[in-house]
Amino acid sequence: MILEEIIAKLSVAIVNGDEEAAGKFSAEALDMGADPRKLIQEAIQSALDTVGNNFENGKAYLPELIMAGDAAHAALKFIIPKIQDREAKAINKGTVVLGTPFGDNHDIGKNIVGAILTARGFRVIDIGINVPPNKYIEAAVKENADIIAVSTLITTSLPYQREIIKILQDRGLRDKYFVILGGGPVTPGWTREINADGYGWSAIDAATLCLQLMDGNKKPPLPEPLIFGELRR
Amino acid sequence: MGRPEIIEMLERTNTGEYCTLKEWDVKRIPSSIREKIKAYNLGQSFDPNNPVNTEDSLADEFYKAGYELALELGMLCENTNRIVKVSEEELASAIELAPSEILVGEGDDGTWIRARKPEDSTPMVYGASMAITFSEELWPIITEGIAREREVDLLEGPSLVTVYGREVLSGTPFETLVGYIHGTQNREIRERVGRPGMGAIGCTSSVTEYGQLASYGVPGGFRPSDLSLALFPSELKINYTVLHKVIHTHNNGGYLFGGSPAMIGGMPGPPEGAVLSSIACALLQYAVMHTHVGGGEIYDIRALTNVNREGLWALSVTHQALSRNTHLLTHAIASEVSGPVTESLLLESLVGISTIAVSGTAFGAGPRPAGGKLAEHLTPLECRFAAEVAHNAARLSRKEINGIAKEILPRYEPRITNPDPGKSFREAYDVNSLTPTEEWQKIYENVKTEAIELGFPFKSI
Repeated sequence: MILEEIIAKLSVAIVNGDEEAAGKFSAEALDMGADPRKLIQEAIQSALDTVGNNFENGKAYLPELIMAGDAAHAALKFIIPKIQDREAKAINKGTVVLGTPFGDNHDIGKNIVGAILTARGFRVIDIGINVPPNKYIEAAVKENADIIAVSTLITTSLPYQREIIKILQDRGLRDKYFVILGGGPVTPGWTREINADGYGWSAIDAATLCLQLMDGNKKPPLPEPLIFGELRR
Repeated sequence: MGRPEIIEMLERTNTGEYCTLKEWDVKRIPSSIREKIKAYNLGQSFDPNNPVNTEDSLADEFYKAGYELALELGMLCENTNRIVKVSEEELASAIELAPSEILVGEGDDGTWIRARKPEDSTPMVYGASMAITFSEELWPIITEGIAREREVDLLEGPSLVTVYGREVLSGTPFETLVGYIHGTQNREIRERVGRPGMGAIGCTSSVTEYGQLASYGVPGGFRPSDLSLALFPSELKINYTVLHKVIHTHNNGGYLFGGSPAMIGGMPGPPEGAVLSSIACALLQYAVMHTHVGGGEIYDIRALTNVNREGLWALSVTHQALSRNTHLLTHAIASEVSGPVTESLLLESLVGISTIAVSGTAFGAGPRPAGGKLAEHLTPLECRFAAEVAHNAARLSRKEINGIAKEILPRYEPRITNPDPGKSFREAYDVNSLTPTEEWQKIYENVKTEAIELGFPFKSI
């Protein structure tokens, strides 16, 4: 099999969410001398873009999105050690610690955001549901995160979003992480009130928000949050 | 004490097959649903040109496939990662023994929820509203305004965002406190408006078990003849928060009101998959929780609503499937996205609520102005309108409602992901006299006039 065929198979494996095949074709391509950066751009990112676009257009669903992200990670495990740290950082759009705050057991919104962010090139650390405020910060410190994303569907968990920001301030860590919000009862007004850095109405808005935050020109905390999505009251 | 069958289900949350959340979400649910869609040849049955299904045979095929799905999958307990599976005998028995009618509330003010069939001449019962957040100052006023609306059968009402001026934080004793305040004040309001036996639904100010334990079955709070809300966090999953509520409700001899949202575009995939998931979830609520009223809710995760074509079609098929094949007391929500004082809110209600009503749903709840996202964006007038739709839709056929939906959908579809948030309660109402502004009253009358012209049988403007 020639290298181009293997690259094409790697792309297909990611679109199909086949972790094993993605890892296998990634390793084979590297053994045949493939340029790691070319593999990422031509096989992995393009495959993730395909799945992401299919999701947005109603041609793919959440499981496909999640599985494609997992397959991309399986491929990257072989590629990342082959490239310089600086380049690896450039490939990773950023690290996002994502969770649903204490008292909230809903996971669907968080899962969608996680899948879309992964498809858009972010490293997502999913810390689950019903997460106390301190756990977000511990995870952000441990994973050297760029963004803390807090999604909630219930009003009584909203104050924990503010608590996360307060703890960051109290610990002198507010300038280390962007804090972004989303979920049913969250509004741009609430985002401004608690001095968060951004709001996304939908999962796609959240991905756009994260990409803008990581454009290299912004530092947390932002003086005014970035708002993506509607119902702007 | 809880029923022995429920204790058995509790036991299975510790002894069932182990499965990780990811395996469940990404592999088991999607693959099982795909297999059922293929086996029953249900793929591509969603018809965007006919958002309200009119084919009995299609609904029946979905029921058979959804029933099998319930047996094959069961529900995953999020706390233990164990699968609670039910046998065919248990599922059939739970469905057979489920009530076909219950009196919610007491005496003349109470409301019978009765099992219905598609195009049933018995009106669908309607409870208002969804849990839109309100300040402590306005919460009793808006709740009273809704309770005064005689078309509204059951009082759910908005939720409190603070209690004694303090934020209600999940998992803290403030939830226990707000549960008690919500339950007792809701009861007082029903008495104040002269409907002491009116049925209610609680408790929406607290999502965890604390609010329900503090409000349901306690002196002065929600009575066992009211509906006790126990909603699943995600489709085909259960957790101990819900099971605490289940046990507490049965301990009180009360009426359990379950719900479980299936997500179009989510784990079940296309609208056809969401229908199967929703049917399975509804049936499993009876087998696992022994619920009295069971939900078959569906939302589209891209549009964050169900009054789009995909959502309407999926709701119509799900509820036709359940109502044609069982005597269960089914529940559904039409989830609007536009806010008060907009024409589109009422149009969304008209299409969404008439779709579930004509499909045989026993009990509808709502409305959810502005998607429930904006504080204090709720008024009694859209609650009245929604209940009027629920009651009068019983006079039409599925074909007629489909025709009305096709006329109206193009009016609000273009802004469904960019809706008009409308106005808040204070902006839309004189909160002292509880009367709508002239602007809001005029919109209400105009939409009703237009609906009548389209053939919707409102009795009056």
